[in-house]
Amino acid sequence: MASRIEIYSPEGLRLDGRRWNEVRHFRCAINTHPVSSDGSSVIEQGNTKVICNVIGPAEPTLRSRVISDRVSISVKLVVAPFSMIERRKRPQNDSRIQEMCSSIQHMFEDAVIAHLFPRSQIDVNLYIVAQDGGALQACINATTLALIDAGVPMYDYVCACTAGMLDREVLLDLNRIEESAMPFLTMATIGGTRKVSLLQLEMTVQFDRLEPMMAAAMSGCHHIRDLMDSEVRKHGKSRLERGSF
Amino acid sequence: MPRDLTPSTIENTFVLKALTERIRLDSRSFNQLRDLDISFSSTDFGVVDVKLGRTRVIARISAEISQPYADRPYDGLFIISTEISPMAAPTFEAGRKSEDELVISRIIEKSIRRSGALDTEALCIISGEKCWAVRADVHFLDHDGGLMDAACIAVSAGLLHFRRPDITIVGVGSRREVIVHPITERVPVPLAVLHVPICVTFSFFDVRKASAAIAGLPGKDNMKEADDDDVEEENDSSTTVLVDATLQEELLRHGYMSVTANTNREICQIQKGGDMPVEVGKLLSCAEAAIMVAEKVTKLINKRLKEDEARRNVGNLLVEARAENDRYIV
Repeated sequence: MASRIEIYSPEGLRLDGRRWNEVRHFRCAINTHPVSSDGSSVIEQGNTKVICNVIGPAEPTLRSRVISDRVSISVKLVVAPFSMIERRKRPQNDSRIQEMCSSIQHMFEDAVIAHLFPRSQIDVNLYIVAQDGGALQACINATTLALIDAGVPMYDYVCACTAGMLDREVLLDLNRIEESAMPFLTMATIGGTRKVSLLQLEMTVQFDRLEPMMAAAMSGCHHIRDLMDSEVRKHGKSRLERGSF
Repeated sequence: MPRDLTPSTIENTFVLKALTERIRLDSRSFNQLRDLDISFSSTDFGVVDVKLGRTRVIARISAEISQPYADRPYDGLFIISTEISPMAAPTFEAGRKSEDELVISRIIEKSIRRSGALDTEALCIISGEKCWAVRADVHFLDHDGGLMDAACIAVSAGLLHFRRPDITIVGVGSRREVIVHPITERVPVPLAVLHVPICVTFSFFDVRKASAAIAGLPGKDNMKEADDDDVEEENDSSTTVLVDATLQEELLRHGYMSVTANTNREICQIQKGGDMPVEVGKLLSCAEAAIMVAEKVTKLINKRLKEDEARRNVGNLLVEARAENDRYIV
């Protein structure tokens, strides 16, 4: 990492001109693949782009996946080889990808009203098309929107955001360069509540710095929840007006 | 064929009902660790046997000379292998990674490798050509919950205990040779351990879900108020937090979080899976509790290391032969 790159200038501006508490440009679209899947969404957080397709609830493909009293969710994540700066093909059984899939699966098994669909399966397919930091948080947000589009009943939105700590400054929603320069955590909350569904920290941080990072990530999650909610309502309104389903 | 470890309904209701009455089956308090026993091998350096309650894990540290990666010529290699065999429990299959195994190996990776517990730059011999490749093999002998915690303690203690052979580099330029001195010739050298990461797993129980699971049982269904000496400080009493769950508690828990901390009040990693949403203040107090556990465990590791050192250096011959500073973290 070149020391010429100023992650956080003394005026309080980051590399892309944001302040410390601003999330990246958030764009999302719902029902982008109406034919190939029951629910779909595309999320762009800054330069990170994730596509999510949801199929289900449907008959399970494998008997071993059948749970008698609730739905089972299977998550597949594909990272496109062109998603990063260097072209690199990630094998499907890469442990990082598997860990992300398993986290997302457990999260949504709890967030979806699971007992309404016993002996059914929901398939979630995620494609990371471009990575610029915050891949896991974009995947979680995309999955929430796609499940809503598929009409799967959920208790609340599941929203995720990252926050990092550079010396003593908290930064919200990091991009790739910032992620490699400081310890950061990924947090997913249940809607606008203070309940945390996922918390992941991978670099060493002083304990006293943990609380401001978590507080910032939580407010970022709540902000993203509002952004997703407005998009979902807008989409619902336009569908009602069109009269199509 | 892996066998499922699902306990019977009657066992489940018994354990959950006891938890609602704030009783653990082995009468520990909610934030008490099981009895931890660390013993080092008297013959080999770097072999540690850790017993956490009935969970038993052995870690073996070994080192050999190898070539560094092309993009990191100044770093040595450090590999941790955590393959779980059916010896630990019948659910684990040899050769196939179950989800539990994946979680354990990822958390050990993050706790020890990514946090930089071992200084890989000190493993370099000739940059770009030769370096030490340190390998930690973790063998899980008995699974009674807390495999991650026991494995992390075992590898950390093993890295502190291990001694690699001393080396000398003779010659210059391209005709340099590395002479590895056997232990009989020169005193072996300890590894450069920068900090001692200790992993602590917290298990979450949703009291409402637990009550629903045991509903219909005769007798009163009362829930006592939170004690003062418990982890939870918030008013939210709908989540019960247990430290260091046994296998039975692990199979019944609704969610978990594993925190790795060290004695420098640093948090090396946090992994809270998506299982059960928990209020954020509770997570912070769990992280603080992890630091206290890390201090206790590190003290025990150092105590055992000193005892092992005293056993080996009967007559203090090796101590007098050393010409280097103490690298232990006291």
